[in-house]
Amino acid sequence: MADFSLKAAPVLGGLDLSIGQCKLVERTDIALISAAVPLDGRTAFEARLKTEWNLDTPSPATSTRAGPMRAIPMTADQMMLAFEPGPTLTEASVHAALDSDAYTTTQTDAWVILELSGAGATTALERICPVDLDAEAFPVNGAARTTMEHLGVLIVRLGTDCFLLLSARSSAQSFLHAVEISCDWTAP
Amino acid sequence: MIINHPLLGPRDAAEFVYLGDANLINRPEGLGDNAEDAMYDHVYLRDNPAGIHRELWYHEQGDRSWLVVTRNTLTHEVTSVELARDVARSMGRSR
Repeated sequence: MADFSLKAAPVLGGLDLSIGQCKLVERTDIALISAAVPLDGRTAFEARLKTEWNLDTPSPATSTRAGPMRAIPMTADQMMLAFEPGPTLTEASVHAALDSDAYTTTQTDAWVILELSGAGATTALERICPVDLDAEAFPVNGAARTTMEHLGVLIVRLGTDCFLLLSARSSAQSFLHAVEISCDWTAP
Repeated sequence: MIINHPLLGPRDAAEFVYLGDANLINRPEGLGDNAEDAMYDHVYLRDNPAGIHRELWYHEQGDRSWLVVTRNTLTHEVTSVELARDVARSMGRSR
């Protein structure tokens, strides 16, 4: 019988593109865990986020960040914890920390994460994103779950011209195509 | 059409799915007196007003919330948007 050896690989091969005034990078250094708050457990959950990572609970339209940990709102009573794993901060440690205060699910391999930055980033997104991306309506740390073309996307504004885009890994190539085409067509 | 989500602000109607009359929240007791007729009314009979209509919308490509939207079916003017959860609670439901 053949002897298989499997090797972990990012879905877009660690993409790094420059298109016009946009820079498009696949973020492969971020782990994702979703956390759902049990009924009547919000106070304990918020206290746990604070004591473990000094992290505030996100509001419906704003993500929060403390050190390597970011909380992105997904729906009422549910959020995505996005973090850069380190020696002490691992998927296992996050699950363990929230064990008694939230229902957690590892999501890392279910999503593709793109970082779109550069002077043309907002213009490129305005073509495919129905959310108002004006800095006043969608400031830094603003977060929204929406659709681009036909694909569901979590969008977070990391900086004035820098966005994090999360979409389903199973349609990563289609999502990349949508964003890439938009960068291309809006290039000066 | 823009729906002014009570938590998220103005969002494009393309993110939503329409279900129908907001009275669908009031599912009748399946084992109560006259349950058969009440369930028939609930499932099949609808008012179809030309004017103000309260209806259920689902924010499928957003935060997955159910909303009760009050809309004028003649002009598409949206006059009120509430979380269906809050509407149900205001009618005495526990959650």
